[in-house]
Formats: sequence, C-alpha cells, structure tokens
Amino acid sequence: MMSSVPGPDKKSKLLVYTIEECPVCGQKTKRAFAVGDYVTKEAAKCSKCGNPTRIGLVYAETMKQSG
Amino acid sequence: MSILEGGILQVFGGINTSDLVTVVWIGFFALTFLYQTRIQSYMALSEISRGLNKLKVMKDKARKDAIDYLVDVGKAPGDPSQRVDQFLDYVAIMPVDMDPAGIVGKVDHIVTTNNDRVRAEVGALLKQNNPVTVSISENLLEVATSLNQIHKIVRHYYLLGKKTNSYFTLVQLQMLMPMIIQEADALLNAVDSFKLGQPVGDGIGPIVVSRFMAGKEKRVIAKDTVMAITEYKGRKLYVLKADGPMAYVGQPGVAIQKIVGEMGVKPSAIVMIDAALKLEGEKTGEIAEGVGAAIGGIGVEKFQIEEAATRAKVPLYAILVKQSILEAITVMRKEIAEAADKVTQVLNRVIEEKTKEGDDVVVAGIGNTLGVAQ
Ligand SMILES: [Zn+2]
Repeated sequence: MMSSVPGPDKKSKLLVYTIEECPVCGQKTKRAFAVGDYVTKEAAKCSKCGNPTRIGLVYAETMKQSG
Repeated sequence: MSILEGGILQVFGGINTSDLVTVVWIGFFALTFLYQTRIQSYMALSEISRGLNKLKVMKDKARKDAIDYLVDVGKAPGDPSQRVDQFLDYVAIMPVDMDPAGIVGKVDHIVTTNNDRVRAEVGALLKQNNPVTVSISENLLEVATSLNQIHKIVRHYYLLGKKTNSYFTLVQLQMLMPMIIQEADALLNAVDSFKLGQPVGDGIGPIVVSRFMAGKEKRVIAKDTVMAITEYKGRKLYVLKADGPMAYVGQPGVAIQKIVGEMGVKPSAIVMIDAALKLEGEKTGEIAEGVGAAIGGIGVEKFQIEEAATRAKVPLYAILVKQSILEAITVMRKEIAEAADKVTQVLNRVIEEKTKEGDDVVVAGIGNTLGVAQ
C-alpha cells in the first residue's frame, strides 16, 4: 500500500517565447516573452519588408537540460 | 561451559533451533494478522500528513502570491491580507435540487451574482481599473480559494479518520492523495502564468478564433464576450470569443442564445473550439472532432448552448485540442500553440463540408482568453 506523492516544485523549466508575424511577407520572428505581450498585439517592424508585425503566438518550450 | 549456557540448555531442553524459528514465525503472523489494519492506518496517517503539509505550503504560497500581486501590480492601498482571507472563505450556496425544473436558471443566477461580487470587490481593493490587472487578480484569488478549499477538505477527512480511527476513511484518502496533490500542483503552477499575463493552454480556442476576427469590427454581445462578423467562402461567419487579453471566459451561452434568438440568425451550424482533457497516454496537442457542445464549467453555458441549438435545430460541431489539466491552466505549450494552424484547417473543412454558400455559421472559441486579444 505504498503510493508516492509528487513534490510541489518538481516542475521542468519552461522558456516562454513570443512569435511576431508579418502579415505582408509572412516572416516570423521568435523572441523571449516580455510582460505585456499578447496575441494580436502590434509588434516591431518586419526585418524583411518594414511593415508592422503582430504577435501571432506565445508559447513555452521545455528547456533542454545541458550539464 | 558457563552457567548461563547451561541455563538456556535447561530451559530449551527438548527444543531445537528450527522449532524456535517456527514459533517466532507463527507469532509474527498472528501479530500481523491481528494488527494489520492498525499498521496500515498508521502508515496511511503518516503519508496523508505529509501530503497535507505539502497542501498547506501550496495554499499559503498561492495566498501570498495573490496578495503580492494585489500590492505590487494592482497598487492596492494598505494591506489587503485581511480582506483576502475573508475572500478565501466566501461561499456560494448552490440551489436546492429536489425540484430540478428550472435549476439551471437558478445556478446561473447564483454564479453570476458571485462573479459580479468578485469583480466588484477586486475592483474596490485595487483602486485602479486596468481590466487586465483586475481579471488577473480575480483569477489569482480564485486559485487561492480553490487551494484553500482542497486543503480544508483533506484536513477534515484526515482529522476525522484519525479521531474515529476509521481504517477505510484513511486508506481511501491515502489512495486519492497523489491525484489531489497533482491537481493542487497544477493550480499552483497556474499562478505563475496568470501573474505574467501569458496565454494558457485553455486559450487555444480563442487564439484560433482571434485570427478570424483580426481587423473586423467587434461588438460586445454578452458580458465579457465579443463577436465579429466575417466571411469565409461565401458563408457569413458569426465569430465569438471572450474579450481579451483579459483573463475572461465570457458568456458564450448567452452570446449564442442572442445570435440565434434576438438577432434572428438562422445558422446552418454552430462550431465550437475548445481544449479538452486528454487521457493518460494521449498526445498533447492532438485534435479530435465531434458533435455536441464543447464547453466545460458548471454546466450553465453548456445547457444554454444545447437549448438554443435544439430549439433552432442547428447541428453543434466540436473541435477539441487535447491537453492535461496542468497544460490547460499554465502557459501554453508549443505542441498546443502549433495545433492552431491544424485546427484552423479542420474548422475550414468542417465549414465547407457541413454548410453551403450563402449559409450563416456560428464559430465560438471557448476558453480563458488571457493574453489573447482579437
Ligand atoms: Zn514582412
């Protein structure tokens, strides 16, 4: 009758990114999430064509443990 | 030969070692047989007690995080601790169900009253009215309340089992403990995503729908809920979601009732996009299609949507994105976010297959829309 109780702080490290999408040329730029970012928010100018981009996605990736 | 050795030999004169081992074994089995439940009760008690301590640490952390957010971001004047503690113990009493006719309306009334109260109180506490901050505060307080409730209930059964020495109460609680801790852990993890205003896994429906609403005129159609009218391959789409980027879930039930009722729209299909709890072994971000009202919660919205659809004889279609409870309430994972494109394709296909040109279609993105505007 043994069952294990997982600890509260056994989470894997997550890195959160913001993806900026250019509505004109489709260029996607990935950068670190900043507080205040939200999907559809206007973001920086497109590095390729200079049009204003919009935030298309915000998501987290599990950090790969290295060393 | 010493005196001691001689004495032992005398006492066990006719018994050899193997007989002695047998006697010890029989004694051991008799004891285990008689005190088995007591030993297990004791083990259960110590394990539940460890879990209970963890739950206490978790609920205290959620409470502290909520207070810190109210003070640091919400700029609450003074110390809100006392008010928060009152908040954590606030109860919503559900209506009597002996005469179930019309109970959904009553539940809706109580839930709405409670939600209005929460927002009014948080608003008064903050002395500022940035809707994103207010909505995040509401959610943080709700998480703290849930953890407080979980801790209280587990503590109740722990003490009850201990007091009455009830083996079955303790063992049942012991077996549930890992699941309870897992759920509490998910809630606590949600705090971090909420504080930063990051979209959560549950926001996949709103993300897909927001793409249809971009650049279109939005109108408020129900409390915290917005709708836009757009077009896809000759169909007129009535697209709705909760009002982002606030941490709202909105009232899609009321919105759909309004579209089908007051606005007199005769849709040929209602398509709902929502996150769904995956079973263990299923992949995160997997897409499932189905029929029926894809919406969780207490059941009021689901009832309203089913009723509106049934009355108007409109088929309900569901597109679900699988995820765990932890993934649904914490920052959106890459696998879920990347399902957005596939969901859009499925949605387009469903619209093309189930409706024809000139038809009206309602598309609802269900879920918490934190960090997802439109
Ligand atoms: Zn561009």
